[in-house]
Amino acid sequence: MSSHREAPEISKDPVADSTDVYAFVSPDQPGSVTLIANYIPLQGPAGGPNFYEFGDDVLYEIHVDNTGDGQADISYQFRFQTQLRDPDTFLYNIGPIESLASPNWNRRQFCTVTRAEHGSQQVLGTGLACPPCNIGPLSTPFYASLADAAVHDLPGGIKVFAGQRAEGFYVDLGAIFDLGDLRPFEQLHAQYGLNVFSGPAPGVNATAALNVHSIAIQVPVSQLTRSGAHGEADPASVIGVWTTASRQRVRLWDADNGEDVNCGPFRQVSRLGNPLFNEVLVPLGKKDLWNSLPPSDDKQFASYVTSPELAGLLPALYPAVFPNLAALVKSGAARADLEAILLTGIPAGIVPGFQNNTGSVLADMLRLNTAIPPTANPNELGIIGGDLAGFPNGRRVFDDVVTIELRAIAGATYPLVDKTYTPDAAAGEVTDGLTSGSVPSGYLDQFPYLGVPYSGFSTPS
Amino acid sequence: MSDHSQAGPPADPVAAAAEPQHRLSRRSMLRGAGASAAGLAALAVTGPAVPAVAAASRPAAPATSGARAAEGRGERISQPVVVHLRDVQSGEMDVFAGTSHTRLRDPDLAARLARAAR
Repeated sequence: MSSHREAPEISKDPVADSTDVYAFVSPDQPGSVTLIANYIPLQGPAGGPNFYEFGDDVLYEIHVDNTGDGQADISYQFRFQTQLRDPDTFLYNIGPIESLASPNWNRRQFCTVTRAEHGSQQVLGTGLACPPCNIGPLSTPFYASLADAAVHDLPGGIKVFAGQRAEGFYVDLGAIFDLGDLRPFEQLHAQYGLNVFSGPAPGVNATAALNVHSIAIQVPVSQLTRSGAHGEADPASVIGVWTTASRQRVRLWDADNGEDVNCGPFRQVSRLGNPLFNEVLVPLGKKDLWNSLPPSDDKQFASYVTSPELAGLLPALYPAVFPNLAALVKSGAARADLEAILLTGIPAGIVPGFQNNTGSVLADMLRLNTAIPPTANPNELGIIGGDLAGFPNGRRVFDDVVTIELRAIAGATYPLVDKTYTPDAAAGEVTDGLTSGSVPSGYLDQFPYLGVPYSGFSTPS
Repeated sequence: MSDHSQAGPPADPVAAAAEPQHRLSRRSMLRGAGASAAGLAALAVTGPAVPAVAAASRPAAPATSGARAAEGRGERISQPVVVHLRDVQSGEMDVFAGTSHTRLRDPDLAARLARAAR
């Protein structure tokens, strides 16, 4: 998955497990950038009576680097506080929740948003109500409007929302994690001699009908870029974005009171920039380490980008389908195309009319050129689909990052750095068989852009 | 691990305010996790019971002298304090309180904690 349960330690701590991060120029507010970080993966909508919520003991952050050093210049910090109205009932709600102030809603959560910049901190908003989870027509009637009320306007033209959303990321997990099966091409898989597949099959969206918890903030561009940024060609127009979750170093189970006691400094336990980076590129033995580090430390992981394990696996799993990729891997040539896409940004002169390069520091961040306007007719394959407003220029909620990264790793983007290389025909075709149309909820045209979460009533586990 | 907030100081006032601040006055206890002469132990303590450790919750507090000064003042603490006794012989210990971490070297205190944990 993009980053759901991607590392051994964080997979045991879903409340702090980042799943996806998005950064894009807001299509309906093009003077602003929307940043979204998702947490708590794979939520079954019917998961009551203790429905999903953010961790009061977790520090969630969305970071912005506007100087290209892989370190945060601006961080938006999100803390949560849960309030229980009536501890003497087992019920999440004792009647319909028709407003965020409903007395029927027993367990509510509130958010505090702080902007940290170079050592100073400014509280942007506190006591901001989160919406409840989407339970069903009796408990959460009119859910869409109920959740709309949890979009808060903050000073400075900022909007914020923190709460449950429909999973917008789509991927055929069941097939991919079955030894790299891609259903549309599974008859070409080596199949280990088992001869299970005889023909192609459509992809299956494993994350359909699941929810996540989203932290979304919409900020005027000028509050994110360094001063003087002007135009698409200006390096100052590019920002790097990633999210982290941190926990205090000590967590002690207070059995007498039935609660955790937390103390000590916060330390990072989860990180996410580019989708699938830690999941697919970083080896198992280093995933937890990667999660604890800032992007500025990513040079030590660069070899996993320039010599990705998956590039060697594709020709082995799909014999005779990727001969040119096999030769490229055998040559030992460093994948400078992947390094540019994931670790430095794409320099000017590679893709006509585009750059999102942040310099020489190797750092996994989403890189968004904020001067490139949103397009009215987006292509979910982003830049490889000819749409400069899509991934890897930031990431929109509907971008098909699985297909884009599969094709890039399969060699489709290597000609960007070596024009003598001819990608295999399959490199331009490979996919897990899904599109944004595979997401049942669809997406919203306005903030927070991710769809209304699936209800437990209509989507039982 | 990297510091929590890559842009700002480790804890903002709001974050600190959101931390549990409760029940300490009811928890006059010393809790041990198997200290041994060689070894590592984690102990959660409260202020009035072990005032010596209270001073250690201050990031800049000097080890033993600061602790004794605090003891002399009878200072109370209002938040959880956890001591990770790293090495009894050398007296090296980590003290966690609020959002701070202080490393101390105090053989006398280490010995007392180790005795209490038996």
